[in-house]
Amino acid sequence: MIDQSVRWLDDRLGIAKGGRTMLDKIFPDHWSFMLGEIALYSFVVLIATGVFLSLYYIPSAHEVVYHGSYLPLRGQRVSEAYSSTVGLSFDVKSGLLIRQTHHWAADVFLGSIAVHMARIFFTGAFRKPRELNWIVGVTMLMLGIVNGFLGYSLPDDLVSGTGIRIAYSIIESVPLVGSYLGFFLFGGNYPGNGIIIPRFFLLHVLILPVIIGGLIAVHLGLLVKQKHTQFPGKGKTEDNVVGTPMFPTFIAKTTGFMFMTSAVLLLLGGLAQINPIWQFGQYEPYQISYAVQPDWYMGWLDGALRIMPSWEWVGWGHTLPLEVFLPAVVFPGLTFGFFWGWPHIEKRFTKDVATHNLLDRPRDRPKRTAFGAAMLMFYFMLFAASSTDVMANFFNVSLNVVLWTFRVIVFVIPIITYFVTYQICNEMRAAEGIGKRKRAMVVSRSDTGAYSTVTAEPRPGDDAHELDAIPVPTYINLTPEELETGPGVRRVMR
Amino acid sequence: MRSLFRGRFLVPALLLVSVGLFGLLVFSPSASSATSATSTANTGSSGAGLKANSGQFPETPGFSSSPNQSPSGDGIYNVSLPQSFIAPGQALFAANCASCHGGDAAGTDRAPNLQSLGAGTVDFWVSTGRMPLANSSIQAARKQPRFNNLQSLEISAYVQSLAPGGVKVPVVNLSNANVGNGFRLFTLNCAACHTITGAGDALADGAYAPSLHYATTRQIVEAVRSGPGNMPHFGPGNISNAEVRDITAYVHSYIQHPINRGGFGLGGIGPVGEGFVGLLIGVGALMLVCFWIGDRT
Amino acid sequence: MSDESTVQPTAPLPVAALDDPHQLPYAKHPGRAQAVAVVAMIIGILGCIGFGITYWVSDQTQWQAVTLGVGLLGLGFGVTAWGKYLMARGPFVEERHPFNSSDEEVKEMTAAITQRGGIVVARRKLLGGLFAIGSLAFGVVAAFPLIRSLGPKPGRALFVTNWRRNAQLVTVDGRPVHKNDLEVGGVLTVFPRGFAGSSPDQTILLRIEELGPEDPPLSLASPGRSDWTALGYVAYSKMCTHLGCPVGLYQEQTVELVCPCHQSIFNVLAGAVPEFGPAPRPLPQLPIKVQNGFLVAQDGYNQPIGPGFWERP
Repeated sequence: MIDQSVRWLDDRLGIAKGGRTMLDKIFPDHWSFMLGEIALYSFVVLIATGVFLSLYYIPSAHEVVYHGSYLPLRGQRVSEAYSSTVGLSFDVKSGLLIRQTHHWAADVFLGSIAVHMARIFFTGAFRKPRELNWIVGVTMLMLGIVNGFLGYSLPDDLVSGTGIRIAYSIIESVPLVGSYLGFFLFGGNYPGNGIIIPRFFLLHVLILPVIIGGLIAVHLGLLVKQKHTQFPGKGKTEDNVVGTPMFPTFIAKTTGFMFMTSAVLLLLGGLAQINPIWQFGQYEPYQISYAVQPDWYMGWLDGALRIMPSWEWVGWGHTLPLEVFLPAVVFPGLTFGFFWGWPHIEKRFTKDVATHNLLDRPRDRPKRTAFGAAMLMFYFMLFAASSTDVMANFFNVSLNVVLWTFRVIVFVIPIITYFVTYQICNEMRAAEGIGKRKRAMVVSRSDTGAYSTVTAEPRPGDDAHELDAIPVPTYINLTPEELETGPGVRRVMR
Repeated sequence: MRSLFRGRFLVPALLLVSVGLFGLLVFSPSASSATSATSTANTGSSGAGLKANSGQFPETPGFSSSPNQSPSGDGIYNVSLPQSFIAPGQALFAANCASCHGGDAAGTDRAPNLQSLGAGTVDFWVSTGRMPLANSSIQAARKQPRFNNLQSLEISAYVQSLAPGGVKVPVVNLSNANVGNGFRLFTLNCAACHTITGAGDALADGAYAPSLHYATTRQIVEAVRSGPGNMPHFGPGNISNAEVRDITAYVHSYIQHPINRGGFGLGGIGPVGEGFVGLLIGVGALMLVCFWIGDRT
Repeated sequence: MSDESTVQPTAPLPVAALDDPHQLPYAKHPGRAQAVAVVAMIIGILGCIGFGITYWVSDQTQWQAVTLGVGLLGLGFGVTAWGKYLMARGPFVEERHPFNSSDEEVKEMTAAITQRGGIVVARRKLLGGLFAIGSLAFGVVAAFPLIRSLGPKPGRALFVTNWRRNAQLVTVDGRPVHKNDLEVGGVLTVFPRGFAGSSPDQTILLRIEELGPEDPPLSLASPGRSDWTALGYVAYSKMCTHLGCPVGLYQEQTVELVCPCHQSIFNVLAGAVPEFGPAPRPLPQLPIKVQNGFLVAQDGYNQPIGPGFWERP
C-alpha cells in the first residue's frame, strides 16, 4: 500500500528522489540543538490552544452585564472581552486549562527563543552562510514579544489595561507624529472609541501568527538547505554532518519531544495559576493596582522606564518626553538593530568571511562569550528593575534606595560580568580536558615507601566518556633559583 | 552530580516524580479554591453584650450581588464600650502604654497623643499587635498581639473615656453585604496601595501598605475609618457604612480566600513571579529533557 | 581576534549505511529499554483515557492537567526512548555539497540582470522612469487609507478636558461631593458632573490639614494658587505626567501622591511637584472652591494633563 501511495504521489509530484534525500537527512545529536524545537513546539501548542480560545473570546469593548459564575462580578457592567474571558475561565469546560496553557506556552515560547538565540550566539552559528537565518530568528523574537503583549492585553483586565495605557503614552511620545499615531490607532483620545480591542485581536490571531508562521517556514527551509551546524569532534569536518537520520530516528525523537513539550505546558497550565484576571476586575482608566508588571519578556522595557531619570526636553513650543522616548522607543530600536546587525558587526572585528559549518566552543571565543554574557546580564538587570517596588517590599528597604541601586548596577554588573566571563573562558581553555571525567589513577605505596601510580581500569561502558588520566607528578621540578628560601627557612631536599 | 545522569532513565523519572509532588502540593487543602466554611478569623465574643459575628461566607444564600438592591441595615454597628471596661483598661494602659504615650494618653516626645482618636483606632493598633511597639522604625508592623480581644477593648475603652470623638469600635455583620459592590469599591479605593490581590507593597519613604490577608473584619473597618499611619481616612461621607461592609465582605472572602481555580497561586505578586516559574520550571524542565535526549559531546 | 578555535584533525568515521538491517541499537540492554518504553506508553494511554474520564466527570482544572499532562508525557517519553535507545546507533554521515555556484555562473547571472535589464531600460528610459514615479505615487497614496482612515486627528483634544468654570465635582457614581464628605486625610476620585468615569477628566481630591487663620498659606509650587484650595481640599489631575497611570496612591502622613506604575513621588503640599522617579512635570492642579456647600471647579486645568507629547508647549 505504501508502495502504491509513493508511486501515486511520484507520478504527480516527482517526490521519490527528493523525498529519499529528505528521509536520509542527518541531524546532529547535541542536546543544545534541540532548544529551537522547544520554541517550535511551544508555537504549535500556542496555535492549537489559541484556536480553541478564539472560539469563545469576544473581541469587543462593548459593555455587557456579567452573568457567569464568579460572584463578585455578577451584575457588574464589564466589556464583552472581559466577560468572555472570565466566562472561558469559569463556565467553559477545560476553558481555564487551555487558557492558562496558552499563556504559559507564550512565556515558554519566548524563553526558549532567548535560550536558543543565546546558543546560536555563543557557538557562532550565525556566521556565513547563516546570517539570513539569524535575521529571520531575531525578527521572530521581536514579533513574538509584540504578539505576547497583544495577547495578554485582550482580556481587558485591570493589569493588562494599565499596560495598554503605558503603550499609548509611549506612542504619544514619538516626536512630530506621536499624538497622531495614538489617535489613529485607538480611534481617539485614550481610551479611544473601543476599537483597540478588535484591532489587537486581529493582529494577535491572524496577522502576526501568519507572519511568524511564514518566518518559521523560512527558518526551517534555510536549515534544510544549508544543513545544520555541528560541534567539532571525532569524524566531524566542515564538509559533513554526523548524526541521526531523519527517518525513523529523528522523527521519533522529535515527535516524542513535541508530546513532552505539550505535556510540560499542560501541566503548568493546570497546576500553576497564571494571570487570574477575575481577581483583577475590568479595566477602567481611572483605576490602578499597585505591584503591576508586564509579562517577563516586556520586563526589560518596564525596568528601563523605571530607572530612567525624568529628563523631558521643552522648547520652542514643543515637548520631547525623553524619559519615555529614550527608554521605550530609542532603546528597543537600538537593541533590535544591534541584534539584527550582529553578524555584520562581528565580521568587522574578526575579519572572518569564511564559511563555517563547525561551531565554536564558547570558551574558544572568550571575547564574544564575555560580551554575550554581559549583554544577557544587562537585559536581566533591566528585567529585575521592573519589580523595584516588590523588591523594596521584600528586602524592607526604601523605594529610593532600590531605584538608585538599579541605576548603578544596570551598568556595573554587566561590566563585571564581562571580565569574569573572559577570565573563566581563558582558564577553561588553559586546563586540559577541564570538566570532563578522566580515568582514575591508582596510587600505591611499596614496602620501602616508594609511591607508584598505575592507571585504573575504565568503568564498564565508560571508555567513550573518559579522557586519559593526568599523570601524578613523582618529583618536584624546580630550578635552583626557585629553591632559594628566605632567611630563617631551611628547605629539606629528599 | 554526574552520577545523577549515569542511569539514563533517572532524569526523566525524577521529572515525573517532581511533577507528581507538585501536583500533590496543589491538591493540598491550603491551596484549594474558596471553601464554604464560615470564617472564624474574627476573635470570639468576649461577654459583656458584644456579639462579634463575622457573618457568613459569600456562597451561602443571603448574599446579594445585584448592585442596586438596598440591603436592610448597613451592617456596621458602632458600639459604645461598657463603662466596666474603663478601670481594667486604665490599669493595662498604665502598665504597657503610658511609658511612651503618657499616663493620660496625651503623648510625649516618643509617641503621639491618643486622645480623641477613638476606641476603634486604639483597638486596631492593639489587636493587630502593632502596639506595644517592638522596635521603633518607620512603620509599626503587625505582629503577635500582646493582648487578647477583651484586653484590647478595655484599653480602647479607657482611651475613649479620656476624650470624646474619634472612631468607634464596630460590630460587623456581613450577612447582607454585596461583594460585587465591594469588589468595585476595593478596586477604586484600596488597590492602588494594597494591590488588587491585597498582597501589600512598599510605599515611599520607607512606609509600606501591609498585606490584607490577616485582618479580621473588625480590624478592616477600623482601619478604613481611622486611617492608621499613611493610610488615608475614609469617613462615612466618603465611604458609607454599607459600602464599608461591602468592602469588608470582599476583603474577608475573595482577598483572604482567593479563588485560585487555576492551581498554585504563586503568591499573587504578578507576572514577575510567573516569568520566573515559566523560565526556571518550564524552559528549565524542557532543557533537562533536551539534555537527556541529546548528546553531551 | 587571536582566539581562533582550533579544529582537531579527525579520523574518518566508519560510515554506517542507513538501510543496514544489522545496525545495533544505542542501548546496551535493548530489552530493558523497551520495557521502560512500554511502561511509559501504557501510562501515557491511561493518562489520556484518564483525561477523557475527568472531562466528563468534573471540571477540575488540576485533574485535567495532570491526566492529560502525564498522558502526553508518557507517550512522548516512550516514543523518544524508542528513537533514542532502540533505533540504529549509527554514526551516520552526510556529505555537505557546496551549494554556491561557480564564479562563471555567478558572472552569467549578474550579466543576465545588468545586460538584459540594462539594455531594456536604456532603450525605454521614459517608460522606466514613469513606472518608477507611478509606483512611488501609488506607495505614497496607499498609506493614506492604511494609516489616516484608522482614527481622528488629535486636534485640541489633548489640550482640554471637560472641566469648566463651576463644574461640580462628582464621584464615579455621579454623586456630588459635599464639603463635609471627606475627613482630613481623606482621598476621593472625582470627575466633572456629567462626565463621571471619563478618563482624561479623572481628578484626585485630597483633604489635607485645614489651616487656621494664623497659619501661613499652603506652600504651593507657583505663586497665585493660594485660592485654588478650599477648607483643606486640594485637587490634582489623577493622570500621571509620566505615562498616564492613575496616581491613586496617597500617603496621608507624608502628604505624598505616589504613582503605582513606576513610583514617581509627588509632593502634594508643593503643588504635586515630582520629587523622585521618572515623572517629568507636576500633576496639573484643578482650582476648586465651595459653592452652596458643594465643591466646584473654578476653571479647567491651566495646561494639558497627562504625559508629554510633541505639540505640548
